Amino acid sequence: MQIQRTYNPINLLIYAFLLVMLFFTMTPIIFMITASMMTKNQILRMPFNWIPESLNWINFKRAIVGLDENYIFLRNILNSLIVSVTVAITTVLLGSLTGYGLAKFRFRGRNAIFIMIMATMMIPFEAIMIPLYMVVMKLRIQNTYVGLILPFLVSAFGIFQMRQYLSTFPTEFLDAARVDGMSELGIYWRIVLPNAKPVIATLSILAFRSQWDNLLWPLLVSQRDKMKTIPQYITAFAAERNTDEGAMMAAALIASIPMFVLFMSLTKYFIGGSAVYESRKG
Amino acid sequence: MGTKRYKGIEKKQARWGIAFVVPALIFFSVFNFYPILNAFYTSFYDRRALSKLKPKFIGLANYVRLFDPARADNPLSFYNSLKATLTFTVGTFIPLLIISLLLAILISNLSSNRAKRFLQISYYTPAILSSVVAATIWMLIFDPRGLGNQWMNLILNTPGVDHKWKTDPMMLQISTMLVYFWKYIGYFVILFITGLATIPSTIYEAATIDGANKNQTFWRITLPLLRPTVVLVSIMAMLQCLKTFSTQYMFYTNGSTRAPINVITFNIYITGIQDQYLGRASAMSVVLFVLMLVLTLFQFRTTKSGENIDY
Amino acid sequence: MKKSVFLILIIALLLPTAIFAAGTKDQAVDETKPVTINYWTHDDAARTKLENELIEKFQAANPHITVERSTRSAQKQIELVQTAFAANEGPDMFNLPIENQYAYITNGRVAPIDYVAAGFKSKQDMLDKYMDGILDTVTVDGEVYGLPLELTNWAIYVNKKVFASAGLDAEKDYPRTWEQMADVSEKLVIRDGDILVRRGFDFRYPYYLIMFVPMVEQLGGSLLSEDGKKAIINDDAWIKALTFMQEWGPLGRNLGSTTYQAPRYLFNADNNDIAMAHTGLYQEGRMKTENPAFFESDDWMVVPFPVFENAVKDVASAYYGHFFMVNADSDPAVQKATWKLIGFLLSHGEDYLTRGGNLIQPTKALLASDTLKNMPYSEVFINDMARANMVYYGSDSAEIQTQIRNAVESVMLSGESPQKALATLRSAVQEIIDERR
Repeated sequence: MQIQRTYNPINLLIYAFLLVMLFFTMTPIIFMITASMMTKNQILRMPFNWIPESLNWINFKRAIVGLDENYIFLRNILNSLIVSVTVAITTVLLGSLTGYGLAKFRFRGRNAIFIMIMATMMIPFEAIMIPLYMVVMKLRIQNTYVGLILPFLVSAFGIFQMRQYLSTFPTEFLDAARVDGMSELGIYWRIVLPNAKPVIATLSILAFRSQWDNLLWPLLVSQRDKMKTIPQYITAFAAERNTDEGAMMAAALIASIPMFVLFMSLTKYFIGGSAVYESRKG
Repeated sequence: MGTKRYKGIEKKQARWGIAFVVPALIFFSVFNFYPILNAFYTSFYDRRALSKLKPKFIGLANYVRLFDPARADNPLSFYNSLKATLTFTVGTFIPLLIISLLLAILISNLSSNRAKRFLQISYYTPAILSSVVAATIWMLIFDPRGLGNQWMNLILNTPGVDHKWKTDPMMLQISTMLVYFWKYIGYFVILFITGLATIPSTIYEAATIDGANKNQTFWRITLPLLRPTVVLVSIMAMLQCLKTFSTQYMFYTNGSTRAPINVITFNIYITGIQDQYLGRASAMSVVLFVLMLVLTLFQFRTTKSGENIDY
Repeated sequence: MKKSVFLILIIALLLPTAIFAAGTKDQAVDETKPVTINYWTHDDAARTKLENELIEKFQAANPHITVERSTRSAQKQIELVQTAFAANEGPDMFNLPIENQYAYITNGRVAPIDYVAAGFKSKQDMLDKYMDGILDTVTVDGEVYGLPLELTNWAIYVNKKVFASAGLDAEKDYPRTWEQMADVSEKLVIRDGDILVRRGFDFRYPYYLIMFVPMVEQLGGSLLSEDGKKAIINDDAWIKALTFMQEWGPLGRNLGSTTYQAPRYLFNADNNDIAMAHTGLYQEGRMKTENPAFFESDDWMVVPFPVFENAVKDVASAYYGHFFMVNADSDPAVQKATWKLIGFLLSHGEDYLTRGGNLIQPTKALLASDTLKNMPYSEVFINDMARANMVYYGSDSAEIQTQIRNAVESVMLSGESPQKALATLRSAVQEIIDERR
């Protein structure tokens, strides 16, 4: 509870700033929501009327039914979910494993390996698109979930974050556990991981989101409609039904729901600035 | 005797460390090192996408062409790409960094948890949207008949003016920066908030006990402890901006000119995929890679981030 | 320390190369063995429906052949097919616009027609069935490398209601010259300040090879010299055309621009935001689905491509085609099966016309058929095709189109002088054709 009650002009400035930013971020989204319920002529009208004239659910129907009228959108959503969830899990697991190895173990070449892994963050995807495509083809994993997931199993960024976070983890705990006879894997699983919750939450959201949004790779790998992902669906929809903005916005809304749900459920892990672990020194 | 046992434990630990790291390493060699080396190799050849003939070895010719001063005038030259990329990066990464840090701090200092949560979610929501979707929305906003013009005209009281978001070279660059900023602000706010969360509350308690007020706590404790996160975020933000592609691509496919937004990645894509000059595109990729490496190292040196923070 | 790092690096690099050691392709030619055809094409709801039907019939009649048909948007089709071929993993069967396809022929990526498999009695039999000269575009050294899925050209669709609302009579006042087009558009345009709320006509950006080059040709210019060695012929023609575009755009009379929504997408909605659109016969199919009331009404018509007032030649906008082609590196049994499929699909020309998206196959039979004659305004399209040329389809056409796009956009949007833009264009195109391999 605040004890001071004076109207600090700085506070007002702060609130104003937060509000402006809020406005900036939310307006396009509100636009999307209202547009999804409008008919074509209402959307690009000047001036824009924020309240749709009627609740046009037909846009949603058109979005789900799809270009070829085969409801493939639902399958695409499933594909995106499978891929994104898997990548989120593997990114966290492999990222934390590798980050832990780099942070808490000393071995020859540790720094060199770390630098090499960091360097991969600097490789632009467009540069490696064709060689990667050849990799996928040679491994015969096109049009499969494996093909969609494989190149994103581990993320260098995830490793970086984990290493950063874990390097501050008190080594005494680990040594104590070792003295107690716990295996290295056991230590990783039972002590390190549970204490890395904020980073795990952040990483999983970011990994999920980056896969959810991935267009370029599925474009190369998934040619069969059944294996396509949401961004591919929306792009195709946009290209074919170029002026059916209402339906596009509807498709977009539907596609955003899982992401939103995930985010809402994980935010508690890093809100409030509260410490997740406390040093039990002394 | 004692040293022998010490060495034994050390060796065992080292082996475990390597074991933990090897899976990722294998993965990266297949999906990252191999392709970039392939690109590096290709950059010395004149390889065309569809040609079945053996690519001609041309040594450094691709690189020479990139930096050929005679081409500096050409709006689609690599020089221009460098310029466009740097303009975009500077124009986006600095506001991103500063404003996301600001927002993270302001949010963390709010007293109401509900407000914190609400704001976090709201700022992050653009990031939740698919890029394709964000692109569609912004294309509608930037359409001459769309919200962009309507609001600018409202604020500036200039009815009927077309601000040419998608056509005027400078406005076009600003538009891309705006969209990018909007997309990523929430992402970086979260990174900062996580960073703030890793500062144990015990420190704040100790500071309060020692009599520090809010201001002092912030400047003397929070910020310095936040430094590694700031370094991390600034490098991430810079790299992200240097790698930007889909934003520029989307504007181009919606009718905008290429020159002002011909960032390096976009140039690579068009040169390789559309114009079929794979060798040239590979050379550009290598240059971009080196550029990013250099800038990252530069950032590391100037901020001199410590790896371990001891409380 | 350095040694082990080195070792790690070497292993890391050798591992993938070991995996990707190239294998040899099978050379079996067993015709009854089960084969799968990977057929890549672009999105088109009507054609997809038709082809899926036809493919089912084909598979029933040929149980050892499985067809995997996949689609993607037209632009992506161009990019993805190329990426796949660049990685030596191209689809067995695909179609692309000819200007993107020619490179595949010159690079030896596609196979010459297997006439018998495709259902013809002989090469001459095939040549007889098609419109004269149309197969020349895919013929190299006497071998024909593709069969046309469609031949398309664009004419001007006119919304009579919009004309009427501006006090004009579309039947009488439709533009015959480009100068008239600009004047009529001026009367039809509705603006809010600078912003165009309703346009009269707008160009089909960015297809400059199809719509802009013919305009230059009308004025006596051309893209390349007769022998194909010199770029940009007749500066005056080019400058006049570029100036026209500059006056059309936001820096001139502000009648349209590259970033407004494409007229052909707006036209069907009949929403009073566009009066004329430059598009093909297939637009009618879309109109029928999207706005049947509008389609059935008498409120629209089609008129020929305008010509400049002082034109030297009467040239309509170019026509282009999509051809079915077969991957030369596919297993020979697959190739044979693919030609069989292609022959089968194309034997249904009338279906493609009526319910496959209004696609015109340039077969003599179809062009003379009543089905075609009965499509509204088909004679306008046929006549325009007669006075047009095939779009420039050299292997570097995509690149050249990019340069032309650049030139037009620089004068229209950035205020570049037509002379300077032309100079840049000339040197760019000259370089492209000089670098041809």
